[in-house]
Formats: sequence, C-alpha cells, structure tokens
Amino acid sequence: MNGQLANRFTPYIFMAPAVLIMGIALLYPLGYMVYGSFREWNPSQNISETEFVGLKNYITLFFDAAFRESLAVTLIFAVTVVAAELFIGVGLALLLDRNIRGMSLLRTLFILPMMIAPVVVGLMWRYMYHPTVGTINRTLKSMGFEGVDWLGQHALASVIVADIWQWTPFIFILALAALQSLPRSALEAARIDGATAWQQIFYIKLPLMMPVLIVTALLRLIDAFKVLEVILVMTQGGPGLSTEILALRISRTATEFRELGVAAAMSNYLLILLLLLTLGMFVITRLQEKRAARLAKMVQEES
Amino acid sequence: MLKKLKHLTLATAMLLSTSAMAGPYDPYKGETLVVNFPAHPHYNAVMKILPEFTKETGINVEVDQLPYLKMRERQTLELAQDEGEYDLVAYVVFSKADYVYADQLENLARYFMNPKLADPNYDADDLIDGYVYNIGFAGGNKGYLEGKTGSLFGIPYGSETSVLGYRKDIFDKHGLKVPETYDELLKTACAIPQLEPGMGGLSSRAASGHHASHAFLLHLAPLGGRVFDDNWNPIVNNAQGVQAANALKTIVECGPEGAASFGFGEALGSFLNGDTAMFLDTTVVAGQINDPDKSKVVGKVGWAMHPMGTRRGSQTGGFGIGIPKNAEHKEAAFLLMQWLTSKKADKLVALAGGNPSRFSTHADAEVNAKFPHMATFGEALKYADPDWRPIIPVWGKINADLGTTLSKVLTEGLDVQEALDGVAERTKGVMNEAGYYTWN
Repeated sequence: MNGQLANRFTPYIFMAPAVLIMGIALLYPLGYMVYGSFREWNPSQNISETEFVGLKNYITLFFDAAFRESLAVTLIFAVTVVAAELFIGVGLALLLDRNIRGMSLLRTLFILPMMIAPVVVGLMWRYMYHPTVGTINRTLKSMGFEGVDWLGQHALASVIVADIWQWTPFIFILALAALQSLPRSALEAARIDGATAWQQIFYIKLPLMMPVLIVTALLRLIDAFKVLEVILVMTQGGPGLSTEILALRISRTATEFRELGVAAAMSNYLLILLLLLTLGMFVITRLQEKRAARLAKMVQEES
Repeated sequence: MLKKLKHLTLATAMLLSTSAMAGPYDPYKGETLVVNFPAHPHYNAVMKILPEFTKETGINVEVDQLPYLKMRERQTLELAQDEGEYDLVAYVVFSKADYVYADQLENLARYFMNPKLADPNYDADDLIDGYVYNIGFAGGNKGYLEGKTGSLFGIPYGSETSVLGYRKDIFDKHGLKVPETYDELLKTACAIPQLEPGMGGLSSRAASGHHASHAFLLHLAPLGGRVFDDNWNPIVNNAQGVQAANALKTIVECGPEGAASFGFGEALGSFLNGDTAMFLDTTVVAGQINDPDKSKVVGKVGWAMHPMGTRRGSQTGGFGIGIPKNAEHKEAAFLLMQWLTSKKADKLVALAGGNPSRFSTHADAEVNAKFPHMATFGEALKYADPDWRPIIPVWGKINADLGTTLSKVLTEGLDVQEALDGVAERTKGVMNEAGYYTWN
C-alpha cells in the first residue's frame, strides 16, 4: 500500500523542482506586476510604501489618447509586418522549393538577417535611411531622384520595412520546411491530372501548408507586438507618436515618466492581448487536430 | 644620558604636534570611495585628474562609469536600498527633484558646518550662480530655485550652458554678422542655405520627445516665455510660446536635410561634418570641435553668446554631484566632492577638457590660453537661467508630451497654437493630479 502511494507520488516529486523554479521565475514576477498595476508607484519608492489606487491606472490608460494612439500604432505595425512577411516568405519558399545547385548556401544567406542582433539591425537601417549620407538616398540621388526623408515623413513605413527585412526569413524557413515535407503523392496526382503551377500552389500546396503557416503567423504576431529595440534605435518612437509601439511606451512610462504602476497596467493590457492571441492559436490547432483525426477516421472507415 | 632624554622628548613633542596638526584628509587615509559617474566628456576628463586626489589625500576612488540614462536607472535602484553601494553620485539635473523629494540625498549643510571637513578657502561664491541654483539647490522658490527656504543638496559638476557656435570661414566669406538677437539668428539661419547651397543654417535637435522639447525650451526663455506662471498654470501656449515654437520650426526648415528627425548626436554630427553653419546647444561640445578625429571643422568655429530675444537666458543643465543618504563613507565623499569642485581641481579638470563650475576658472589665463572660447563661455554663464525648465517630479511626463507634440508640428504640419493649447491642457491635468492646485 505504502509502496503504491510512493509510486503514485514519484512523478510529482521529480517534477517538484521544475515546478518550484517555474513558480519563482515565472509566477512571482508576473504576480508582482499585476500587484504593482493597482498601485501608485514611483521608482524611488519601495513597493511597500506605495499607495493602493484600485483600477485607476487601467481607467486612466483607457482614456489616455497617447496610449490609444500607441496601441493603434502597435496593431498597424504588427498586422502589416506579419501580412507582408507571410506573403514574401511563402512566395520565396515556393520559388526556392526546387533542386538548385548551392541551395544550402542560398538558404543560409537568406536567413542571415534573422541572426543579427536587433540593435545592430536598427543602427544599420538608421544609417541606410540617413537623409544625406544614407545608402538609400544617395542611390536615389545618383539616379536623379529627390531624396526622401525616410525617418521623418515616412517613419512607420520605414520601420515596417526594416522589420520585414529582418523577419521574413523566419517565415521563409518554416514555410520551406513545410513545403518539403508535403506528401509528394498529392502533388504528383495533381500534375498527372494536368494542374497548372498556379493551381498546384493554390489548391494543393497552400492548403496543405496551412497548419504550419497559421502557427508561424501567430508566433510572429506575438513577437511583433513586443518589438522594441529596432524601433528604439531607429526613431525612438518619433516623429510625434507615429512609431511609438506599446513596448516602447511601457519603457518610457517606467523610466521617463517614473510611473511604474501605470507601466505595469500597460504591460497587463499587452499581456491580455497576447493571451487572447495565444488562446486563438490553441483553438485553431485544436480544431485542426480534430479535423485531421476525423479525416483519418473517415479514410480508415473507407478502406 | 640627559642629552639622549632631551632628544627623546623633542622627538615625542614633534610627534605629538604633528598628530595635532594632522591634515584634514588623514583620518580617511586608505578608505576606498565608490562613486558613480556618467560616460560624458566632462567625466572622462575627471578620470584623468582623480589620481591626483588619491596622491594628495591617500583616499582611493573606485569609479563606476555608466551611460547616463543607464546611470539614472541604476541610481534609482541603488538609492532606494537601505545600504547603498555608492558614496558619491553624479546625477543629471532633472534627477534633483526625484532624489531630494524621496529624501535620498544628504543636505550639505552638515558638512559645510563641520570645521574639520569644510575648507575655509573653498570660496563658494565663486561657483556659478545659475548652476548652483539649477542643479544643487532645492526647496527654495517654486521648490527648485534660489530662495530663502532652500538649501544645498549637491554641487554642480559637469554642468553646461548654451552658446552659439558659428563657422568663421562661412561668415567671413559672405560678410555675415554674428547674430546677437533672435531676429538676426532666424534671418541668418535661413540666408545660409541660399548663400551656400547644400548647407543648412543652424543644426538643432528636433527628434520626437526630449530632443524637440529641449530645443523649444532653449528658445522659450530668451524670447520671454515660461512653461508655468507663478501659480503653476501652464502658459506654454501664450504668444511667447508660439513664437518659440515658430522659431524652432523655422530653424528646422532652414536646417540641414532631415533635421526634423535629428537627435543631439545627429545635430552635432552635422555641424562637425560641415553640413551646417551654426550650432546652438550645449558648451559640452567645445572639446570635440577641435578634435581632428571627430571634426572636419577644426579651427573654423567661433563662439558667441546665446542670442537675445526680449532677455538673455541661456540654458543650464548637465550634472551635479551629491552624497546619497545611504552612503557608507559620507565624510570622505564630502572631501572628494569639495576637492573636485575646489579652485585648484576645477582648473585641472578644465585643462583636461572638462566643463568648469567656477567663474574664476573661466577667467583663468592658463585655461584661456589652451581653450580661447572659455572667456565667452564665462560671459554666457552670467546669464545662465536656472528657471528655463521646471525641475519638478512630474516634469518627465510633461516634457515627453511637449516633445512629441512639437515633433508633430515639425513633421505633420500640426498648427502651432493648437498644438501648444493641447500641451497646456494636458499639463494642467497632470499638475492637478500631482496636487499643484491644492491651494487654489
């Protein structure tokens, strides 16, 4: 009996250290943040000296025009970059899904931008966009066009381009992996039936890749909501608030405005948003699994 | 035998007398101070003179030098502890409000009253008034200015004011007059792009946030404006405010290409690169202008006072040094602070390329022989305005709003009056919440 009990608890005992570490490393800071978001908290104060203000921070934020503008910028940024990256990434994957000599070298080259530290990416693009000495304007001018004030007049678009440049490879590499693991039989059957290349893409390849693409897109979306360094280095959120994404606003609220409580509340809004996205991802994968299981069952029953 | 005894007594007497006459630094010999300085041209010069202090006093100094935003973050954490790591900190001017309000800096009265610590030859009156009231003083008028209720919490060190740098060669070539008033400044700034195609008039910071706000305030004080009236009502949107914003707008439009997104680095860079004919900002850059590694305009730059609007009012800013409440070696830290800002060390640091804190150093012949601009800077300092920017705990938030709104004026064509009205309204809300209207 005793042995049985011990047996039943063994797995939990083995898991205990991990759970403990998770609790300390994950839940404690998270709880601290949630707790802090209900308080009026100046960084010069200990949290015990702070005053409880209820939902005030959340309500102030809700009516704060700057916060809402920042939220809108974040949404525009995230949706645009993910859509563009998906389009270009999947397109590239479809183009490069063939036996070319030196393919592995090409693939490594394509994923290089992803490996560069974000601060470096920001600096690089900032210099490329520089109005007088930047590569882009110099090229434009040498071709006889007028220079463009990239980070002044078209800041959000410029930042979006930099992000697309850095993160398209992520989608590309996952899409390529998905493409190469597609069942060749389906493609062969389509080819025998006389499907054109476009038809193969739209009716066979894309639908079969869809599960991978959805997960990839959600991962990128979550990442895009939290992007900070590249924008911080390139524009510091300017001009005006035109590129001030939420992560940057949170950091400024904590350091410049010295309102840790409000910053915590803002982080919680972001967390809730990301949680909803993650939940969406869960639901979609679950639905797909169910559909796959149903299909498999149907196939089995037919055979 | 008797002779021997005599010798011995003499020796003992001498020993006693020397210990009675021990130097002020002796009790602290061998102590090690940990200080927190920013990575900044002035403090780089300080690093060169610190060995002199250790040689003279036997007190060791260990320096933790951090980029200045990082430094502020670190200090905020350190100063809130029960026992701090730092014995002396250099703080950026707007931290004064936060640290003093949170009771984290030592009041210096206790040290200047202590005859064993205070050097009678210190000559505090020689310290630059504007700097002292702007950076070191708290509790006076409006809470952050000179006044009967105030006292000293820090000493300006690595402080700066604004001066106008101009390209002598360009001004000579076209027979331009160095602008003395704002009208002349704006006219000259816009004339230069026409006289020298491809060259901007005046390079100014203008990027969203702190940069745009700083540039605007730089013009607001000389043009007669203020952010608040005496009852803390925002008046940034009055006629002077609009004039200052329009001045900034004109300067950016007649400035180098892409000026609307310039931060301090880009603004300075374009002047050093020879892309603009004038530069109106901090005195800190003087050292870099004649450094051939960084500058293409070596020997071509002249200096003049910040032009005048309805009054003279150059900025005051930069750093001060103070002793944290939770420091371990407060007395030795005071001795270091006093030594660093003494006449002798102030001159040493000026010669090493730092920004002196004393009038006498600005007038010193040796310093002027090495840096001929020092006399002009000293003259400008007489008009340094400690109230050009309010130093109150909520300033960070107002500053950010002012800066982003002005950036919208510069890049998105927002109407100046409308923009400043918006800032004033939001500022009023912030001030109200912070309790500034409790007595109204």
